[in-house]
Amino acid sequence: MRGVFALARTQLITSLRERITLFWFLVFPLFLLALLSFIFANVGKTEDLSFDITVVNLDRGSAHGSFGAGVVETFRQLAQPGSSGKAALFRLHEPTDAEEAQAYLAEEIHALRVGQRAAVVEIPADFSESLSAAARAAGGRATAPARVIVHTSGGRTSSDMALGIIEQVLVRIDKEILTKLGLFDAAHAVAIGHREVGSENKALAYVDFLVPGVILMGFFTAGLFSVPGTILFGRERKILRAYWVTPLDVPRFFAGFSLGHIALCVLQFVCVWVLGRYAFGAHIDLFRPLALGYLALAVVTFLSLGFLVAAMARTPNSAMAIANIVNMPMMFLGGLFFPTGSVPPALRVIMLANPVTYLADGLRASVGVSAATFGHAVSLGVPCAWIVGCTVVASLRLKWDVGR
Amino acid sequence: MDEAALRVTNLRKSYGEVRAVDGVSFAAPAGRVFTLLGPNGAGKTTTLEILEGIRDADEGEIEVLGRRLRRIDRATKERMGVLLQEGNFEPYLKVREVLSLFAAFFRAPRSPAEMLREIALEEKGNALVRTLSGGQKQRLAIGVALINNPDLVFLDEPTTGLDPQARHNIWAIVSGLTASRKTVVLTTHYMEEAEALSQDVCIMDHGKVIAEGAPRELAAELGQETLIEFVAGAEPSPESLGPSCKAVRRDGDLVVVESEDLVATMARLLEWSASAGSPLAGMTVRQPNLEDVFLSLTGRRLRT
Repeated sequence: MRGVFALARTQLITSLRERITLFWFLVFPLFLLALLSFIFANVGKTEDLSFDITVVNLDRGSAHGSFGAGVVETFRQLAQPGSSGKAALFRLHEPTDAEEAQAYLAEEIHALRVGQRAAVVEIPADFSESLSAAARAAGGRATAPARVIVHTSGGRTSSDMALGIIEQVLVRIDKEILTKLGLFDAAHAVAIGHREVGSENKALAYVDFLVPGVILMGFFTAGLFSVPGTILFGRERKILRAYWVTPLDVPRFFAGFSLGHIALCVLQFVCVWVLGRYAFGAHIDLFRPLALGYLALAVVTFLSLGFLVAAMARTPNSAMAIANIVNMPMMFLGGLFFPTGSVPPALRVIMLANPVTYLADGLRASVGVSAATFGHAVSLGVPCAWIVGCTVVASLRLKWDVGR
Repeated sequence: MDEAALRVTNLRKSYGEVRAVDGVSFAAPAGRVFTLLGPNGAGKTTTLEILEGIRDADEGEIEVLGRRLRRIDRATKERMGVLLQEGNFEPYLKVREVLSLFAAFFRAPRSPAEMLREIALEEKGNALVRTLSGGQKQRLAIGVALINNPDLVFLDEPTTGLDPQARHNIWAIVSGLTASRKTVVLTTHYMEEAEALSQDVCIMDHGKVIAEGAPRELAAELGQETLIEFVAGAEPSPESLGPSCKAVRRDGDLVVVESEDLVATMARLLEWSASAGSPLAGMTVRQPNLEDVFLSLTGRRLRT
């Protein structure tokens, strides 16, 4: 084991001493985090964003009818894609007929807490009655306005944005109801009750979306470029051969090399997390067991991908060419820096085959930044399949010495 | 002869149609420097790479430190030290770290600090490998080869590309190894290196062993007593230099006279020079060496 640890230490310290490596592995991710924090702050306000929201109608109705059903219908319309092909404003979640509304509401508020919903809209049981009471009292005594309760997850960006849009929707509904009831004064018939349900995280912001992406990007770059670069440079310069004439064998070299690489990734992770937290105010909890599991899986996935590239290339230069070819599509179609929901169908195939997609999705879902698109079984399973595939091919093809 | 630390029998290795090693057999006695001598492409390095465990032989038997092996195993590597031809180390490691790294691969290594002293790199202990000169890198490579205190040391062209000073530093280290009863297997294409360091020489050409023995014995077998060399436009006939002259041959501009009696031949040679009006430029007198052995066996020089 001494040899394994000595190799791991060598791998780590040589990476840190080499300025180019240091720049790409540590400085660049930190720079990118700062840069993208600014860029994504703007992108997040575009019209194409779509939020997961739930509408639960508990309204019992009144003599004037069920106004709650009208509110639900308005949200349903907004959940339809636009005629110009724009994504729908909301992905709407509603209870089925078989589901008990109150229980469904409780489940959805939990989903909100863990980041799977941006907001939950609750139409209370007395909604229609309150509106009817307001109509009867028109011109006379004032009555309490009917309320729609919007549950959001405290401070989360997606929740804050969804709340703003829901408020606008409800103002529109309010005007329609006022018109329908013949109430043309300035008093609101529908008031918005805002409840923050809290979050299993602390307050989240844009940077919380970016930090997992930048960490994964760092791991991805390290695996894709550093692993084949180091191995093929070592093979070409006969650095590896000097190991093979000692009792060190390939499995122990592999273990030491991988351990050193993992140590480098841990260092990357800590640096990005510290910068994100203390310089940009990120609050996501990346130390949850599931999040750590995704991070560990990401390191191993990209490490095995690096070995695959090393196995496919003859020289360090050809390895860099291969890495560059796969780098861009995998990174940008993996959802590291922006949501991939509106990716064209042709590119969607690449996106769905890309392990980065699942790692980014799973990691963000595990820390409550966004809702899981695939579910954890898929998000963990696909990268595992990549690890097995890459390792098998690399072990069959990779030459550890020149001329062998 | 002492017990053999390394014995190779009928070793063969081909790359496609090319027979790099073609039935090589030799034995390296324990505690001595055994040199594989030959021009580039003779098969020395391939032979050594098989013995170091880097390549597998197509055929042949290998006996290392008393163990008969099909291929070099881990236990044998614990007792072997290897200096590779054109080997390298991580450029961003410090000298001390390189020695510590390789020490970690062995069960009972020597201390890196002790090794630094032995290879005279104490002052460079904290220098990065990439900042070392060629000679310093080669000394470090020798330090790495000796870090496990091996019984058998392979040195593959240890002085190629080094300046004379660096070369003599390496020679001093190698000479010290035999004092500690280590067996050294050396490859070189420098005849003077083989003569300076080796007790035993195996001359290879085109993948085969063409001569084996102590350097002096090999030279003596040529039957040449003394060689007189000079540069001249014309050359004397052997008869004109008297019965002590065994032969006269031309090697480019150089005229080589083989003599059994230096004084008698030299007197006749000076007479010839005066009468022929041909000065004896750059004249040297020397004993036959391994270069002459190779030349007589192959008709070619070692360094061509």
